[in-house]
Amino acid sequence: MWTFIIRRLLQSIIVIFGVTAISFVALQIGGDPTYLYVSERATAEEIQQTRVALGFDRPLYEQYFTFIGNLLHGDFGTSLSYKRPALEAVLEALPATIELTLFAMIFAIVLAIPLGVFAALYRGSALDGSIMTMGMLGQSIPSFWLGIMMIMFFGLYLRWLPISGHVPFLVPLLQGHVVEAFSQLPMALYYLVMPGVAVGFYSLSRNARLVRSSMLEVLGQDFVRTARSKGIPEAAVIIHHALRNAWLPVVTMVGLEFGFLLGGVVVVEMIFSWPGIGRLVFNAINQRDIPVVQACVIMLSVIFISLNLLVDLIYVRIDPRVKL
Amino acid sequence: MASATQALPQPAMNYRRREFRRAWRSMVAAKWPLLALLILVCVIFAALFGPQIAPLDPNRQNIMLRLAGPLTEGRGKTLFLLGTDGLGRDVFSRLLYGARVSLLVGISAILVGGTIGVVAGLVSGYFGGWIDDVIMRLGDIQLAFPFILFAIMFLVILGPGLANIILVLGVGQWVTYARIVRAQTLSLREKEYVEAARALGDSTVSVIFRTILPNIMAPLTVIASFNVASVILSEASLSFLGLGVPPSVPTWGSMLAESRDQLLANKWWLAFYPGIAIVMTVLSFNILGDWLRDFLDPRLKTLG
Amino acid sequence: MTSLIRILATGCALLCGIAAAQAAPPPDTLVVGLSADASTFDPAQISSRDNANIAKHIFATLYTVNFEGEIKPYLADKTEVSADGLSYLIKIKPNLTCDNGEALTAEDVAYSFNRPADKSKKFTGNSAGFVFPTLGFKSAEVVDDLTVRINLSARTTLALGMMAQIYIHCKDAYEAMTLEQASTNPVGSGSYRLVSWQRGSQIVLEKVKDPGRFKRIVWRIIPEASTRTAELIAGNVDIITNVSPDQIGAIDASGTAAVEKVSGTRRMQVGYNLSPNAAGMPGAAEIQNPKVRFALQYAVDVPGICSQLLGTTCERATSLVNPPNGNPDLKAVPYDPAMAEKLLDEAGYPRGADGVRFHIRLQGPRGRYLNDANVVQAIGQYLTDVGVQTDVELLEWASVYSPLLRAKKMAPLFFLGQGGVTWNPLYDMSLFSTPDATTNYQSWTDPRWFDDWKLALAAPSVAEARPVINRMLKLFYEEGPWLQLYFQPDFYGVSKRVAWKPRRDEEIDLFDASLK
Repeated sequence: MWTFIIRRLLQSIIVIFGVTAISFVALQIGGDPTYLYVSERATAEEIQQTRVALGFDRPLYEQYFTFIGNLLHGDFGTSLSYKRPALEAVLEALPATIELTLFAMIFAIVLAIPLGVFAALYRGSALDGSIMTMGMLGQSIPSFWLGIMMIMFFGLYLRWLPISGHVPFLVPLLQGHVVEAFSQLPMALYYLVMPGVAVGFYSLSRNARLVRSSMLEVLGQDFVRTARSKGIPEAAVIIHHALRNAWLPVVTMVGLEFGFLLGGVVVVEMIFSWPGIGRLVFNAINQRDIPVVQACVIMLSVIFISLNLLVDLIYVRIDPRVKL
Repeated sequence: MASATQALPQPAMNYRRREFRRAWRSMVAAKWPLLALLILVCVIFAALFGPQIAPLDPNRQNIMLRLAGPLTEGRGKTLFLLGTDGLGRDVFSRLLYGARVSLLVGISAILVGGTIGVVAGLVSGYFGGWIDDVIMRLGDIQLAFPFILFAIMFLVILGPGLANIILVLGVGQWVTYARIVRAQTLSLREKEYVEAARALGDSTVSVIFRTILPNIMAPLTVIASFNVASVILSEASLSFLGLGVPPSVPTWGSMLAESRDQLLANKWWLAFYPGIAIVMTVLSFNILGDWLRDFLDPRLKTLG
Repeated sequence: MTSLIRILATGCALLCGIAAAQAAPPPDTLVVGLSADASTFDPAQISSRDNANIAKHIFATLYTVNFEGEIKPYLADKTEVSADGLSYLIKIKPNLTCDNGEALTAEDVAYSFNRPADKSKKFTGNSAGFVFPTLGFKSAEVVDDLTVRINLSARTTLALGMMAQIYIHCKDAYEAMTLEQASTNPVGSGSYRLVSWQRGSQIVLEKVKDPGRFKRIVWRIIPEASTRTAELIAGNVDIITNVSPDQIGAIDASGTAAVEKVSGTRRMQVGYNLSPNAAGMPGAAEIQNPKVRFALQYAVDVPGICSQLLGTTCERATSLVNPPNGNPDLKAVPYDPAMAEKLLDEAGYPRGADGVRFHIRLQGPRGRYLNDANVVQAIGQYLTDVGVQTDVELLEWASVYSPLLRAKKMAPLFFLGQGGVTWNPLYDMSLFSTPDATTNYQSWTDPRWFDDWKLALAAPSVAEARPVINRMLKLFYEEGPWLQLYFQPDFYGVSKRVAWKPRRDEEIDLFDASLK
């Protein structure tokens, strides 16, 4: 078990270096970003001065090694556009995105299980049909489109939900203001509903279908039939036997889910003016703000890797067949 | 027909026919896959013959006739069947041309990703050892790098363009294929018929591509059919961020992305038609994928 | 510990923010929806327009350009200019203070000029990057408690207008802060104070002194145009910038808000890249001919583009100078495709067998100017219609378009908008100060212009330079390097709740905004 964890951690370090190298090279081949940091009327001399000041005059490998060297000291560099530590900018934006993905993840998993189970139990019925139709639709609608439609319908027409904005929950919580954080929770959730659904709807649809098909598979297996034939009540059969096995594939999905949800995050954060990492990194890429992009990419990979490690460990606990 | 039959050994031909007949029956029984197939045939028809069907040049602008509703008559004898867009271009013609580009993006990206992934997976699974390690670590790097960041970064740098989009969306998919192929190859490697092929002196390349690959195509087809759908959606999202195809290339995703300013102004046709086209196509790919999975998975066959 | 307090403060401010977002803002609060966040509040680092619009409520300036385009003293009391125009003796008003209570004296004014000019600090803001080179700033020195002398390297009629862009801040406060602290903790001299800055979300200012009618200004960052419009219609935001032209109707029909249009000072054009860098590209040789350039002017239906794509009738451009400072004799070229074809035939570029005269490439940015992507595509269609087969390419502004522009490596045709002013024609004309000036993106080298430019600059006043200016503008009209389009209209969505008038120069001035 421990050797497994240690091996995975070592692999993770290689992965993170790979990730930084890719983004570093990618941003560099895009050309010299100096022009973005001088005024419209800057002279050639001023441009050169800025280039030197920003360090873009040095060879690529030298810049990369400097960057890695600083990274090992925990220094992610200073943001070129915000003129402050890149890590600070990223950590400030991260909680909002975690709130968003967490909400979307919970929404996509917690709701998917009953939907999938009922669809499987009443296979072929109208209930199954409508759940699966919703599932199919959910997998065909781009998140930006869903977001704008929700703004128009729930925000502008019905006025049930706020159109845009964000109320922090994680930040006060992490600062230790537990009471304040929880008193803000209802408000935070109120603001989270629309962007969260926009991010998570695709996954909800996919997960519901996944649960349904794996439930169908389990229901057809011998141990369920045996349990039924023993006269165990149907509800107990489903909860104790079928469900326990049916949601394994969903657990496997959770690890990959995070990376997947991030795909919707950039677009949804733009639409709902959510102050998260998606917008930060999109602007940073456009501004060629290399330290911020690097810090974002590293933070997100670390989260992704640890989440997957966690999922593997959980998997061992809930599925006795798997051994590390 | 008779000569074609003779080209193949009789038993194989019969088996193939039987499988097709079984597939067809299963499709007819399930009804929905049949409808999905029908829709896809229409979309493919539009993609192939769009330029011949399209009544107008999809890039011909006329800003004086912009945002005209469906069935508006233009100058001369032209009729804007589904209205015009923000630059006065014919929505119907763009939709037809868009079918071609959207399918092209969806399918080529899968081919790019699938090819890289299959080769990587086969090599990794067949040889094992350090090659396996290197390929799998590369896969981990790809997975740990949030795909959307990867796509944005490379498209910002390479600039928008059809080939670039296909490349980026394709490269983003390879790990999925590589992992599945690797797992399958690992289990097939020790199978008797693979051993037999090797014993008969087949070259490694031949063993990998002639003996192992055909046996793992089934699960790949299922994944590919789901993947086409998600690639079409990704293309739409990238268009939203301004990283899509160039303006002269109509795609459903970019049409949908362009319509967003018009939603509040209630110009519904701009979003409705490309939206429906995307939903129907993606839906069809998903339904077919579902059906294919059920059909190919022997464990599910027993279920009524 | 300070960060803890800051977090607490933002938390409290945010609770107010919730109230603001849920219902109409309270009567003493004005909410503005912007498309981009500020990046810094260090007065020496501020460079973007949105950032400067917020900062000008926090920092006072020596002068200010008023609504009508006149330069008025703000902190300055009396100004004396030396005979050679190289030295400005400025006396500031007595009893001024900064936000921290510190007295604001001549020493602080000199510091506000000298700090951004300090090369060792490597500032890249508007002051060091644009104002000082334009001003020819040399140094600022303290004469007495209330008097400061500013030394320039050359005479310029732009001096006061440029000085109006320098944010005045107090020396002691800034000397005590690191650069990092300075970027987030502005110690201002203006009438508002920064209360909280939720990055990517909102910035809250609170009034400390006059001018200004609202007690609180909340700047909300809403990048997506449709979302901004929705928030305005819902009544959660009072003023929004960059309204999409196609959403004007929806806002006007809402009953809660209306769109204010103003003809801006940004000069929209299709630049002709005449530099050797473009040589070899299709169309590069043809546009060297001034007759071709003028002919193409007839080909583009500018009024049509304005009414259809920009949703308004725009102010047509006849030269690079903003009205009313232009040459009054020049009339905008009408849309006349037949004339364009005739002139192109005469210039020696008849239509070929395929109907094409020549091929050319047109580049444009995406999302930089009002409806730019559509306008550029429409121009491409108009040019194609007269036989100039145009290949349109849309590029991302910051990382692709702007560097190409700086390197003067654009395609033969490129769409561009350049900010201008209402207070001096020479400012607008200074884009073409020398054949290799950085802002001469077209690499225009006509010696008649550059000879006259020296004459115009040497004149003691704008009025005396007028005959030369008019001659130059006529040359620009006939043989210039621009396909002249329009002065960019700016649209602001304004809630029925408030009375506010937008300015022409893209500055957002909220001091006079009031509740109706």
